[in-house]
Amino acid sequence: MSKILVVDDEEHIRLLYSEELKEAGYEVITAESGYKLLEKIEEEKPDLVVLDIKMVDYNGLDILQDIRNQFYDLPVILSTAYDTFKEDMKSIAADFYVVKSFDLTELKKKIAMALETRLPD
Amino acid sequence: MAFYEENPGQIAQADIVVGIPTANEAGNIALTAARVDEGLSEYFPDMRRAIINCDNHSSDGTREAFFSAPGKASKLYISTEPGSGGKGRNVRNFFEKARRLNPKAMVIIEADIRNISPVWLRNLVTPVLKGAGFVCPIYERHKYESFLSNSIIYPLFRCLYGRRVRQCNAGDYAFGPKMLDIYLDPPFRSEMVDNSGADIWMADLALASRLPIVQAIMGAPKLHRVRGRFADLPVRFAEAVGTIFDLVQVNDTYWQQVKWSKPTALSGTDLQEVETPLPPADVSPERLHEKFIEDFDKYYRLWEHVYGPIVARKLQEIRSIGLQHFSFPTQTWMTILFDTMVAYRGMSISERKELVDGLLPLYVGKVLSYVKKAWRMSLQQAEEYIENECMTFEENKPYIIKSWTKGEKG
Repeated sequence: MSKILVVDDEEHIRLLYSEELKEAGYEVITAESGYKLLEKIEEEKPDLVVLDIKMVDYNGLDILQDIRNQFYDLPVILSTAYDTFKEDMKSIAADFYVVKSFDLTELKKKIAMALETRLPD
Repeated sequence: MAFYEENPGQIAQADIVVGIPTANEAGNIALTAARVDEGLSEYFPDMRRAIINCDNHSSDGTREAFFSAPGKASKLYISTEPGSGGKGRNVRNFFEKARRLNPKAMVIIEADIRNISPVWLRNLVTPVLKGAGFVCPIYERHKYESFLSNSIIYPLFRCLYGRRVRQCNAGDYAFGPKMLDIYLDPPFRSEMVDNSGADIWMADLALASRLPIVQAIMGAPKLHRVRGRFADLPVRFAEAVGTIFDLVQVNDTYWQQVKWSKPTALSGTDLQEVETPLPPADVSPERLHEKFIEDFDKYYRLWEHVYGPIVARKLQEIRSIGLQHFSFPTQTWMTILFDTMVAYRGMSISERKELVDGLLPLYVGKVLSYVKKAWRMSLQQAEEYIENECMTFEENKPYIIKSWTKGEKG
């Protein structure tokens, strides 16, 4: 079972994503901020991270660079309410992005694709 | 081995080695060498630094201009023999010389960049010192710049090798000792690689190397000499595309295992955008359309033979549309590129030449289609359009694997 880490400062989003993704057959863990996130990734070893871009104390795009530098191939999907983030070059380090919605069809599709991605060892 | 070498400081070792390939660049090389030296001194003051001018035996005083540039890094000059040109030969000489200096990081940077900034060196070299195998820059580009990258290199490499490296043909790269080993003992090299296919060859081998790749954000466009759009296009196109198709065969075990694509890590994300004006885009839809129509009848029989009746009919339909509503569907372009790759493998050298020559007008048609679609788009919208085209390529990967495997069975 693939383990997904959902990072979002809004509790209702964490709950929604957790329930729906668990129903879809994933193991889900959550974090409410970027605080000690790299340590959490190191400990929990998720297969994929769903990362909010605009959190109160953290910029998701900066966290994305840290994740990419330390966990080179870990898939990261950016989750956002606005698509203006695409103007920032840092966003190209993400595997995919989704616009936040109560319908998680797109998120589930992108998670499946990101987990299927295969590069030879 | 270089035909000629000057190593006035008798340098035998260096931690960072920068190569500047040249062919009659007396007017540019001093500035480039000085800026490179500034970058190395500022960001890597404690490392042993060397700059090598890898020259095509220039007769315009390139060597003298290079040695006259101010700076603290050791300078070396190497050259091919008289009459032997091509960037590929220069970079090969660079690889061989670099190997003897036992560096931790190497950079190749073009001599004619007018706005080279010292911080570019930091962004290219730092990831290599931290373990990256290959670093490719991302310059700011106009939406109508680098059509070859937008239409062929980026979508094809992304689909085949699974890495989203946006400017594989940038011409400036950094790499580490493991990549140098591959360049010195490559699975493939050709006359085209020795000439202008060198850039694509270096990037292609890196993408299939399994080594970590990083893209370096440069924060500015690369202002350099603009090569004529049509004058030398057939040769540059044939050498770049031919090199891609040659390496597709060499790397086929690798790319057949790749599914979807992944982003790379970035360096230089702290860089503030520098206000350098983007170069004006010199694009004429009328001229592109003329070129597409001009060669249509010349190559139509070849296209019919290679791509089959369905694609041939589609091409007739595209021709009949006229300039005002001209459109070259992504699906048709993708099928053509994939089928060309497969056909190329089983052909003789002369047949391959004709095949790639015949791809050129179709590429011009694809460029025209993009130019028209992107006419009112912002740069970001144009990038999204290209990203969507890349997804079409990736979604159709099973088609190329099936065609390729079928071709193997004869």
